[in-house]
Amino acid sequence: MRVSRSLIASVAVTGLLAVGITACGSSNSKSSSGGGSSSQSSSANSSSSGGVQSIPLKAGENPVGQTLTGSTKKRGGTLTVYSSEDFEHLDPGESYFTQDYGVDYPTQRPLFAYMPNTANEVSPDLATVIPTTANGGITDGGKTVTVHIRSGVHFSPPVNREVTSADVAYAIERAANPNVANPYFPAYFGAGAPAPLQGTTANYKGGPIPGIQTPNKTTIVFHTVKPSGSFLVSALSLPISAPVPQSFAGPLDKKSPTTYGTKYLVATGPYMIKSDPKTGLFQGIGYQTGKSLTLVRNPNWNAKTDFRPAYLNQINFSIGGDATVIGRQVLQGSHAVQFDTPAQSAVKLAYQQYPSQITFTQGSGDHYVALDNAAGVFKDVNLRRAVWANLDRAAIIKLRGGSLTGSPATHFIYPGVTGYEQAGGAAGPQVPWNKSVTGNLQVAEQYMKAAGYKSGKYTGSATVQIVGANNGNDPAIIQLLNSDMTQLGFHTHVSLVDQSVMYAKYCGVPKQEIDACPTVGWVRDFADPLTVLYVPFYGPAITPTNNSNWGQVNDPQINAAMQKAALVTDPTARAQAWANIDKMLVNQAVAIPEDFDNQANLESKDVAGVNELWNTGTWDLDFTSLK
Amino acid sequence: MATYIVRRILWGIVLLLAVSAITFIFFNVFPSADPATLRAGRNASPAIIHYIRHELGLDRSVPVQFFNYMKNIFLHFNFGYSFYTGASVLSLIKDRLPATISLAMGGAIIWLMLGIPVGILSAIKRGSVLDRLAMGVALVFVSMPVFWLGLVVLFLFAQDIGRFHVLPGANTYTGLTVDPWKWFTSLIMPWFVLAATSAAVYSRVLRGSLIEAMGEDYIRTARAKGLRERRVIFRHGVRSAITPVVTIFGLDLGALLGGAVIIETVFNIPGIGRLNYDAIGHSDFPIVQGTVILATLFIVVANIVVDIAYAYLDPRVRYS
Repeated sequence: MRVSRSLIASVAVTGLLAVGITACGSSNSKSSSGGGSSSQSSSANSSSSGGVQSIPLKAGENPVGQTLTGSTKKRGGTLTVYSSEDFEHLDPGESYFTQDYGVDYPTQRPLFAYMPNTANEVSPDLATVIPTTANGGITDGGKTVTVHIRSGVHFSPPVNREVTSADVAYAIERAANPNVANPYFPAYFGAGAPAPLQGTTANYKGGPIPGIQTPNKTTIVFHTVKPSGSFLVSALSLPISAPVPQSFAGPLDKKSPTTYGTKYLVATGPYMIKSDPKTGLFQGIGYQTGKSLTLVRNPNWNAKTDFRPAYLNQINFSIGGDATVIGRQVLQGSHAVQFDTPAQSAVKLAYQQYPSQITFTQGSGDHYVALDNAAGVFKDVNLRRAVWANLDRAAIIKLRGGSLTGSPATHFIYPGVTGYEQAGGAAGPQVPWNKSVTGNLQVAEQYMKAAGYKSGKYTGSATVQIVGANNGNDPAIIQLLNSDMTQLGFHTHVSLVDQSVMYAKYCGVPKQEIDACPTVGWVRDFADPLTVLYVPFYGPAITPTNNSNWGQVNDPQINAAMQKAALVTDPTARAQAWANIDKMLVNQAVAIPEDFDNQANLESKDVAGVNELWNTGTWDLDFTSLK
Repeated sequence: MATYIVRRILWGIVLLLAVSAITFIFFNVFPSADPATLRAGRNASPAIIHYIRHELGLDRSVPVQFFNYMKNIFLHFNFGYSFYTGASVLSLIKDRLPATISLAMGGAIIWLMLGIPVGILSAIKRGSVLDRLAMGVALVFVSMPVFWLGLVVLFLFAQDIGRFHVLPGANTYTGLTVDPWKWFTSLIMPWFVLAATSAAVYSRVLRGSLIEAMGEDYIRTARAKGLRERRVIFRHGVRSAITPVVTIFGLDLGALLGGAVIIETVFNIPGIGRLNYDAIGHSDFPIVQGTVILATLFIVVANIVVDIAYAYLDPRVRYS
């Protein structure tokens, strides 16, 4: 999930996208620090960064090397978290937005989770260990995953009782209930997943799933129709696996939409939304829509069962306001951080005057131009290559805020995601149309000629329909793309609309046949390269509405390669398989990569912020403390 | 007069219906996203979208949807529920309205207190240094974008980010019933920023109107009767000249009560304007419709009040 609604939207429609989550990797993970004591001290090493090269802004203060725990960390106090954007969903079964995750992970305990200093290694959270073939957690050739959950984890008031495996099962089952409508269930657990849970169909609308069994209170077993193994383990790091008590949420889930997460909620993590202890009602108490949200300590949380140190006593989210003002409030104020993407002016101010109060995290997603591969002028691969060759990606970086906020993208698996280096790293695949990030008209004209336009310019009668978002710096980027296209002779028509409209009405609806959707973006959902490439480029994933394969990429060879790669379980082989698919996507120029994003984070001088690598790179509130 | 007021109220209701219909049509005709698709979230299956469309009543004809919507408003005072959060629109409006009323009323009081005296003084002292200075300053404030002025004021006087730590800045709004003093201090800057432009406009309008009025025959007659100049100015001149000011005041206040998006955003005041702005961004039609109806209601009421005020201010105006 991305940092801003803009990205989100971009990502949006599908599930995976953007905004969401991140982390990734290959799977399997070892049980690193997982559950255990809150006093463990770990500073990550570079090997856990999954290939992320930290920006050398401040030695020792990049996300990879930051101190997570230890005696130097201060316990207690209240942190103010500024965010110009409100939350979308606080129900862990619905949430799919960076802001939402900022509340989900401090308040909920999914089966698995990430330490903030790792992009690719999942740790056990509610689970006791990471299931592997070696420890008997993954059996049946990868089709069965057995997870044991911790004892001693309790729900917050008013439920109070101990969490059982049935609560995890219900949490996942309810995700398909239309009243909950989890956005990624179909892609990772349901019928649209590479390895669906047994018994899920395209029309599944909640209720017990045959592929989930709870033989006892501390064991939950997942059966998939194809081998998934460690991929499923990674997917279970999503908030969907955070336990939900059916006795409490069941009646609420019968309403459309559910009021679990809009009015009532219980927690299992170190914090809970301030609420009525007798009813669990938080709306109007700990959460004022569009105004504020207050996290307080969960009285039923047992630190001995959790790896999160949870230093802060209280976290106050201040919602709304102008990003320029918020940036100054954080930089000049006290005990505060900015949670969403800072304004460019604030980044500049921080970089120049408060360098110790800003961090940058690479690997927070990417943007690209989606081109319609199925209809219109860009059905011709050479025309796609021509536009790619002529696009000035370096200029796009400048429009986005300069080299600190991103770098020119050269392929689709972005830094920090497993497979990035195998796919070509920063330089990317060395095909002619990808070599110049500043654009090369001569190369572009070669591909125009290859497409049958002997003059090197488009001479057809079609008008290229471009639909983009009207917020932020997107219009400027769209204008740049438009200019580069007209330079090649294309006649264009640009429509700028609200980002949600762009996705829901135009770019996410194949029958609209939009030729180009610039500035769509993606953020991985969890530690696996599949989550970067599968939904946006897998042909069978195309849907008539809410489609996230914006370019309608449906190449049989690519589809087959994805189907095969999805079932590869060896981490190294899996990374290589998806890197190869990335190269295929570049070779077919299915879309035009624009930029690999960095996340800028602002903090007050008296805050020891810890930002994570596994999602969009923003602050991890479970590890952040005051100085 | 009573007949006139009743007639105006009835026409006001007709206007509300018309505005509701137009807003409804806009949302159904112009580019906006399918609410069911938005509500279903990313990656939702067609089956789920179909289910949600049915639950929201979006699978019915547009006239039926509109009829049901208006029926719920007039019979049950139910403005519907947010497509996104499921929250009651009425509860959201109730929650946000106090902040907007606080902002609008305070700002209006200040701009009237500044604009009217300055306008009168400038008219009376026409051509003087005072007049030129006042009108020059007014021109400056009229020319300033509110967004920019708000940021400048914050960067100068806010306690947290200002150069001079004088007043509470953004994100400090507190409800009147929670802490009256904090409520007052948190709104001082927004009030003055809001008032700056309007006060400038009002002073220029009143000046021109009063200069024209002071040249009328009845003013000469009043003076010939031996009335004191102050009485001539205020009892006869201003009373007549203020009519256009009252007109624009009614419109301004009504519109402002419907939400002051920019001020609310810059100072992060959780009012109707921000609620509406965010809802538009999400294509959250029930909230947009609710806030638009609210704004229309305020404008209608304000105009009725203005018309009644005319009769009091101008003896020539009589309603039958």
